Amino acid sequence: MTGASSATRPPGSPAAGAKTLHLHDVHKHYGGRTVVDIDDLVLGAHGIEGLIGPNGAGKTTLMKLITHVVSPDRGRIEYHSPDGTVLLTQHSPDAIARMGVVKTNQVIQDFESLTIRESLLLSLAGAEQEKFYKVLRDKAFLRRADQEIDEYLDIFTFQDPDGRAGSAGEKKLLDILRCLLLKPRFLLMDEPTAGLPQEETDKVMELMRTKTQETDLSILIIEHDLDLIWGTCEFVHFMAEGEILLQGTPSDVRSNATVAEKYLGASHA
Amino acid sequence: MNALVFPLQGLTIIVCLGVLLHLQFGRTGIVNFGVVGFSGLGMYTTGILVVNYEVPFALALLIATALTGLVAFLLGLLILNLESEAVLVATLAFSTIVFYLVTSESWLTEGVVGLGTVPRPFDVGDTSTSQLLFLLVLVAIAAALLVYAARLQHAPYGRLLFSIQDNETLSRSLGKPTFRHKLVFFTVTCAAMGAIGGLDASVNQFLVPRLLTADLTFVVWIALVLGGRKRVFGAVLGTLLTVGIFDIVIELYVDVPREFAQQLPNVQLMLFGLTLILVILFRPQGLLGERRRKPQDSPTAESRKKVQA
Repeated sequence: MTGASSATRPPGSPAAGAKTLHLHDVHKHYGGRTVVDIDDLVLGAHGIEGLIGPNGAGKTTLMKLITHVVSPDRGRIEYHSPDGTVLLTQHSPDAIARMGVVKTNQVIQDFESLTIRESLLLSLAGAEQEKFYKVLRDKAFLRRADQEIDEYLDIFTFQDPDGRAGSAGEKKLLDILRCLLLKPRFLLMDEPTAGLPQEETDKVMELMRTKTQETDLSILIIEHDLDLIWGTCEFVHFMAEGEILLQGTPSDVRSNATVAEKYLGASHA
Repeated sequence: MNALVFPLQGLTIIVCLGVLLHLQFGRTGIVNFGVVGFSGLGMYTTGILVVNYEVPFALALLIATALTGLVAFLLGLLILNLESEAVLVATLAFSTIVFYLVTSESWLTEGVVGLGTVPRPFDVGDTSTSQLLFLLVLVAIAAALLVYAARLQHAPYGRLLFSIQDNETLSRSLGKPTFRHKLVFFTVTCAAMGAIGGLDASVNQFLVPRLLTADLTFVVWIALVLGGRKRVFGAVLGTLLTVGIFDIVIELYVDVPREFAQQLPNVQLMLFGLTLILVILFRPQGLLGERRRKPQDSPTAESRKKVQA
């Protein structure tokens, strides 16, 4: 990964127009197995935060609880934004996405019938465009949408933007771009670089850094590529067996003995 | 010529229902196996209002459309969140309920005795001219539905419907209230089926419960699946190849020996069933195949292609 210093925001200080997710006593189990068990957790106090931990630690489930794709057994998840505080557990996944809390997918998800461009247009269209009686060409919308889409297509190359996403990498990238076009305020990225070529990974992370600095976007990243975590995140949460065991700056977490033992293995210590 | 007008009216009705089913099933993934329930509700509502209560045809048609829409809304509220198999069974059950209600509530529907005569929506004096004009009106409605379906492919709403069919969870994660959209679209398209049924009342003129058996649903389904469920003209091609061949070509122009003529309707349904099996086995996307993917004609798409070249 790039070794460039990324954190321009003073660490620990919330960004302007801060948005945070506050989890209180959030608990989820499948059968007899506890997957997520969190007493109290604040996410998003820094521009880019990392969520790391061994497989099965409950990281993805934690994100799904936030977007309410999975309902918690108990507990509250509050979303604090300049617009006020919302209890996410009382809203549907689509309503949460419209509030600006958006998650990219770890496992590849795509719309088979839509081309790359159509897929991106889908992201951009809002309730105002999506009426069954609106079938005439909306030039103003198309022009505006094309402009926004081209901004991304200038950075990322697809083999044929007017065809379907071909490779796994293209689908993964498309998934991320769809989320970005929603103009999220809190982006949850579940292993964004799995399946992406290194070159594209670098471009994605570079874009994420720019976005968090230039806009009021907050990002939480799940990633097994630890070099990326250390190089990109300002703050890292370490999760194992459903619980957050440790939080801190990348260097703190990196040097911690528990993390080394439970996750990194001897070679990293 | 006159002998052709009535079957062509029936064929156009099937095309209209087929395009509406294409919108529900081919676009949105709603497995509506109760087509005849909605069209039948519209048909009998129109007939009852016009014949028993002497309501003007246009008003009766309007009421029938609204009533079908309302019923579809209530049904959709209950079932559209379910798995597609459950939607299939529920809509089929709904159309069966409509059939038996029409049969048993003879104080209102005249039951098996039949309800009639439903007049044509308009009369220009001469019967055959009126019939021909009515056919043209039906064709115009079918054309309008086709234009709508074609336009929808390139409209935001069309992309939304495709996204619901392909991956509803992903669509929701992009902020789309998919259930509400399905409910609205189901209501609107079922109401349109009711309107088509209302016009069909005028085509048949004399209404009997037999018109509401599941056969009609199957015919529409087979036509759509044979032609291509995801293609705008799938229903047209499929209807021509099924209803067109049997109800028009064979019925009017082929000299079937008398002893076989009685069996023809049964043979027809058997062949339709066989066709359905063959299509699903060998060409599940129908004769027209997948949706063609013409490059989006956006103002900048061309220029970008040149840059990349």
